[in-house]
Amino acid sequence: MIVFPTSLQQAAGELPGGAVVRAGGTDVHERRRLKLLSGNLVDLRDVADARDIAARGGGEIGVGALVRIAALASDPGIVAGYPALAEAAGGLATPQIRAIATVAGNLLQRNRCWYYRSPEAHCLKKGGARCFAREGDHLYHACFDLGPCVAVHPSTLGMALSAYDARVDVVGGAGRTVAALLGDGTDARHDHQLENSAVVTHIVLPAPRAGERSAYVRTISRARAEWPLVEAVARLGVEKDAIVWASVAVGGVAPVPLRLGAVEAKLVGTAARPEALAEAAALAKDGAKPLPMTGYKVDLLERTVLEVLEKALERAPVGGV
Amino acid sequence: MSTTRRGFIKGGVGATLAAPIACRSTLPTEVVATPTAPALVPSERVTIRTRVNGHDHDLEVHPDDGALEIVRDHIGLKGAKHGCGHGACGACTMQLDGTPVATCILPATALHDRKVTTVEGLAKEGALHPVQRAFMAEDALQCGYCTPGFVVEAAAFVDRVRAEGEREPTRDEVAAALAGHLCRCGAYPAIYRAVQAACTGKYDAVEGADAPRVDALAKVTGAAIYTVDVDAPGMLIAKALHAPWAHAKVRRLDWSKALALPGVRGAVRLLGEGGIVRYAGQELLAIAAVDERTAERALDLVEIDVEIRDALVGMDAALAPSAPLVYPKRADRKSPPNASEGPLLPEKWDGNKRGPFELFSKAPGKAERAIDHARSGGTVTEGTWSTQTQCHTALEPHAAVAAWDGPTRLTVYLSTQAVSAMAGDIAQRWGLRDEDVRVLSLYVGGGFGAKATLQTEAVVAIELAKVCNAPVRYALDRRAEIMLGGNRPGTRITVALATDRAGDLVGITSDALADCGVAVGHISSVMFRIIYPDAPRKLMDTDVVSHGPPSKPMRGPGGPPAFWALEQAVDELAHQRKEDPLVLRKRWDPNPARKPLYAWAQTIPRWRDRGPVAADKGRYRRGVGVACGAWFAFAEPRTRLQLDVRAGRGADAKATSAAGLVASTASQDIGNGTRTVIARTVAARFGLSPSDVGVRVGDSRFVHGPMAGGSRTTSSIVGPCYDACDQMADELVEFASRRFGLRQAKPSTDGITHDGGTMAWRDVFSVAPDITVVGRRRRDEGGYFLPPILGLAVERYVSGSLQIAEVEVDTRLGRIRVVESWIGLGVGRIAAPVLARSQAEGGVVQGIGYALYEERRLDPKAGFLLTGGLEDYRVPGIGDIGPIHVHFDEHGYDKVPGHNVGLGEIVTLTPAAAIGNAVFHATSWRPRDLPLRPDRVLKGLRG
Repeated sequence: MIVFPTSLQQAAGELPGGAVVRAGGTDVHERRRLKLLSGNLVDLRDVADARDIAARGGGEIGVGALVRIAALASDPGIVAGYPALAEAAGGLATPQIRAIATVAGNLLQRNRCWYYRSPEAHCLKKGGARCFAREGDHLYHACFDLGPCVAVHPSTLGMALSAYDARVDVVGGAGRTVAALLGDGTDARHDHQLENSAVVTHIVLPAPRAGERSAYVRTISRARAEWPLVEAVARLGVEKDAIVWASVAVGGVAPVPLRLGAVEAKLVGTAARPEALAEAAALAKDGAKPLPMTGYKVDLLERTVLEVLEKALERAPVGGV
Repeated sequence: MSTTRRGFIKGGVGATLAAPIACRSTLPTEVVATPTAPALVPSERVTIRTRVNGHDHDLEVHPDDGALEIVRDHIGLKGAKHGCGHGACGACTMQLDGTPVATCILPATALHDRKVTTVEGLAKEGALHPVQRAFMAEDALQCGYCTPGFVVEAAAFVDRVRAEGEREPTRDEVAAALAGHLCRCGAYPAIYRAVQAACTGKYDAVEGADAPRVDALAKVTGAAIYTVDVDAPGMLIAKALHAPWAHAKVRRLDWSKALALPGVRGAVRLLGEGGIVRYAGQELLAIAAVDERTAERALDLVEIDVEIRDALVGMDAALAPSAPLVYPKRADRKSPPNASEGPLLPEKWDGNKRGPFELFSKAPGKAERAIDHARSGGTVTEGTWSTQTQCHTALEPHAAVAAWDGPTRLTVYLSTQAVSAMAGDIAQRWGLRDEDVRVLSLYVGGGFGAKATLQTEAVVAIELAKVCNAPVRYALDRRAEIMLGGNRPGTRITVALATDRAGDLVGITSDALADCGVAVGHISSVMFRIIYPDAPRKLMDTDVVSHGPPSKPMRGPGGPPAFWALEQAVDELAHQRKEDPLVLRKRWDPNPARKPLYAWAQTIPRWRDRGPVAADKGRYRRGVGVACGAWFAFAEPRTRLQLDVRAGRGADAKATSAAGLVASTASQDIGNGTRTVIARTVAARFGLSPSDVGVRVGDSRFVHGPMAGGSRTTSSIVGPCYDACDQMADELVEFASRRFGLRQAKPSTDGITHDGGTMAWRDVFSVAPDITVVGRRRRDEGGYFLPPILGLAVERYVSGSLQIAEVEVDTRLGRIRVVESWIGLGVGRIAAPVLARSQAEGGVVQGIGYALYEERRLDPKAGFLLTGGLEDYRVPGIGDIGPIHVHFDEHGYDKVPGHNVGLGEIVTLTPAAAIGNAVFHATSWRPRDLPLRPDRVLKGLRG
C-alpha cells in the first residue's frame, strides 16, 4: 500500500501506525527488496515543499530535505560558504545515485554492514540477539567500540554536517542538532533517533565563520565510488598565522559520526603551518577502542585527520558574513 | 566428528523448535502495521504516466516495483541491464529528464511525469549519438553488457561538455563522470579514448566511423540480446532457495505449501539424495512461478528440517589437525566439483588435503640438492606468497531460458562460453538426440571461465520447463553470482629459487596449497614448468577442501597466483645478486616468443631510467616493476567453419554483407571477438571489408565451434576459415570457368585471374549460385605436444609475455595507484589488432583488480558470503587503471594454421607480480599477500 502526500506536513500525518517514508528511494527500495523493511509506503514524490536551498535570517541556510545530493554538491551558495560540505556531497556514492538520493535520505539511511545486508545474519540491527560482525569479520567496521553494534555509520553528510553544527527541522517531532538526530552510537537497533511519526523537513546550516578554511578527505582504496575506510571534515579559523578555532568531524570509524574534541582543543593556538599539525592529529586516537581487525583504522584515522587539516590550511578562506 | 548442533533454521544454534517452519520467515522486518485513520486513501497499485524515448506509457505498477524492471518487462526495452541491483555497476543507467540515474534502486513510481531516455532512444532521427559512434570506432566495449549504461551516461557527459564548447576533457573528468560504472572486461582505456574524442567533435559525422568490432552496433544501441533479455510466450520465472549454512544435513525439504500458492507452477529439488549441504549458498530447490515476486513468496513457504553442523571455513580450518573431513566417505571423494579445465586425475587424499600433484616436476631431487648446495656458494631466495579468492562476477549473471517442444525436443538459451559442448552435454544428460537439442547464445555478457560447463542454471531451467510444461527463465542475482558463479581459489605458495655463483638458475621448488572450497583440481606450481624451463624443479600442488563454494577455472587458471609468487622471487633473487632483473630473466629464458620482448622493454624510458630501489623519500613513492609470463597453446582440432554463398544477391557490398557471403560456426562471442576474427579472416581472403561478411555464431545447429576457454578460439577458428575460403575459392573458380569460359583460371587475393585478366571476387559473388563449404582445422605442422583429450589439443608452443608496471605508493594513506602499464606479448600473428589490444588492456585491468582490490570474504565461522555485491566485492573502476600500452611481437608460430596462439589468458597473468615488484622498487617493502589493501600497505611500510 502506498500514499502520495503533497506536503511534508501531510506526510507526517500518514506515519502513525508504522508506515515508512520513501524519498529518493535508493536505500528504501533496496531494503524492501532484501526484506529488511516492510509496512505501507509514504512516498514523497508529489511533495512540493522542501526542495530548495534558501537563505534564512542570521546568515543561516536552509536545505530542503528533498534536495538531491548532486544539487547540494553543486549549489553555488554551498560551494562558496560550505566548501567541505559540497566536497563531501560530491564524493559520496556515484553520480547516478547522487542524482536521485536526497540529503535527508542520506542522513536517515541504514548502515551498510555486510551482516545487516546478509539474509543469513539476524543481527542486532534486525532485532536479533548478537552482533555478527563483532564475533566475525569486521575488517571495515568500527575502531571506536561505542555500543553493542559495531557497524560504522553510513552517512557522509551526517559527518560533514556535524562539523558545521547543523540542525534539522522536523514535523511530527522536535527540531534538533544533526548530532542529536544520529545519536551517540550506543543504540544497537537504530542508525538514527528520529521518531517513527516524524519527518525531517530542512537541514539548517549556521552561517559560515568569517575566513574559515575547510576541507574533506575520503580515504578509500580505489579512486572513487567506495564506502570510506575513514573520512573527515576539518574547518579551521586562522588569525595571525595561528589556528584560533577548529571543528573536526570523522566518519567510517564509529557507529556514529564523531566530533574530535581533543583534536579541536589542541589545534587552538597551534601555528597555521602543516608541520605543526601532527600533534593535534595524533589526538584523533583519543577514545579509540579497536576491534581485533580494525587496529589499522586507528592509524588511518590519525593520518586522515592530518591530511584533512593540511588540506584545509591550503584552502582559500571563505567569505563569511 | 565434533558435536553436531540440531535445530531448525529459525532456532539457529542450539534451538529446538517443535515443528519445521517456513524458511526465510526469520527475515526481520522493521515495522509491520497498518496506519490508523489515514487521511489519504492508500492504494495497492499505482498508475503512472511516463514518456520513454518519446512515447507516452500509462502503466499500472506495484509500489515496490523498480524502474528498471518496468522499463524492461512492461515496456519491453531490454537495453538497460540488471547488473548488481544496488546501484554500484551502472548497467541499469537511464536518463531521467536528461540526467543519468541508477534505475535498479529507483522505484517505478518515480518515473511518473518524467521523461526517460534509454540506450534505445539515444539516436536522433536515425542518427546515432556521437558517443555511440565513438564507442564503436574506438572499440570501447567487449562483451557489451555494461555498454548501454556507459553510453547513456557518456552521452549526457559529452552533451554537457559540448554545450560549453569543443574541448578534450581530462582523464580525471571522464573518470569522475563515469565513476558509477563498472566494466568487468576492462574496456576502460578505450572508453577514455571514445569519450574524450566524442567531446572534441571527432565523431559528429554520421558516415565514416567504421567499427573494428563487427557486432559493435548492436551493443551500443541496446539491440544485442543476452540470455537475461530473452522472453518467451507464457514464460515462467524461477528462483532458487540457497542454503544459509555452510555445513548441514537437511532431513526434510517440503515445498507442498509453496506449490499451493496461486501462480506457482512447479518445483525441482537440487539438493543431493544424502541431504548434505557443504557450502553456504548451495541451491536446495528451485521454484517456477508466473513472476519473480510470486516465486520469492513461494520460497518463503518451503519447510526445512535441518541439522546444522560445524563448518570448516577457509584453508587453515580445514588443515587443523582435529578438523573433521569435508568428504568423509571414499565415494564422496571420487566426484567432488572440478576446479580445473581438464579431467581430474586420481590423487591421494590426506585428511582434507588432496595431492600433492607432482607430475610436472623435473628431476625434483636434484632441484632440492641444488638449492641446498647453493646456500653455501650461490644465491637462494625463499618465501611464501599468498593470494585471495577472486570472483569472476561477469556482469551478465549465469542465466538460462529453456523451452520444450514435446517430450524430446529442447531449446535452451544459455549464457555460456561453450555452445557446441553444452548442446552435447544437455543431450547426454537428458537422453535426447543431438539434433533435438538447440543451444542459443547470441550475446554473452562475459564469462572469464565461469560459464564453460553445464551448471545449475541450465538444470533449473530445463527441469522446471519440463515439470511446468512452459518456458522457464532462471538467472542468478548478484549475490548468488558472487557466491556460486565461480571463483579463483585463494592460494599459499612457498617458493625457493637458487642460482650458482655465475647466476645460472640451478633449482626451483614450489609447494602450493589451494583453497578451492568443496572443489579440487587446482594447479599453480605447474606454471613453473613452462617458464625458465632448463633447471631442475620440484613442483607440488595440493588442494585443500573446506566448506566453501566450489572454485572454477578462471582466466589463466593457476597463473596469476603462480606468477605473483615466482616473479617476485625472481625479482628478489636479482636484487640479492645486485643484477638487473630483466637481464637476469633474459639469461635464463630460452623461449623464442619472449626474446624480442626483452629488447622492446629496454626501449621504454620509464623502465630503462628507473633508478635504484626506494629512491623516493617523500610521501608519494614511485617505482617500476617487471614480470614475465608464459601460457600454454591450445586448439580445438574439431573446429569447423561453414561458408555459404547465397544466389540472387546484388553485387554491391551491402547486399553481400546481408546474406551473400555468410560464415557460421557453433562458437560464441563472449566479448573475445569471435565474430570479428572470422569476418576479418574471411574478408581478407576475398579482398572484402569485414562488414561484407555475415557471421553467425551462438547456435548449436551450426557446425562444431570451439568453446571460449584455454585461449583457444582464435587459434582454433582461423585455420578452418582459411580452409573454407580455399574451398570456396575453388568452387567459385570452377563455376566461373564454366559459366564464363575462363581459361587458366585460378584464385588470387583480388579475384579469379585468368588468361584474359582478373574477375573481382565481388563480381563473382554477385552471380554465384548457392555454394556451401565446410572448412576444417589443419593439424599443426609437426603435430601436437599432446593429441586431443576431450577435444582439446596441447600445441608445441609456450606463449610469452613481459609486463611492466609503474606504481605510486601513498605512504600516508596506504593507497597504491597504478600509474602506467606496458605489456608485450609474443602470441604470433594478430587476427584482429584493435580487438586484440582491447583484450590485452582488459586483462591488465583485471590483473590490477586482483592485485589491489578484489577479495571475496566469507563469515569466518558460519561460512556465508559477506562480499555479496559490487560495493563490497571491489572490481576496478575507470579511475583506477592509468594508461596501458600494448605491444605485440608477431613473429613465430609458423607451423600453426593462422600463425598464432591464444591471447585471452596470458594478458592477465602478470599484472599483480609486476605491481608487487614495482611496490618493492618504490619502497623496498616486498609484498607477500594479495590484495594490497591500504591496511596491508601501511603495515608493510612500518616493517
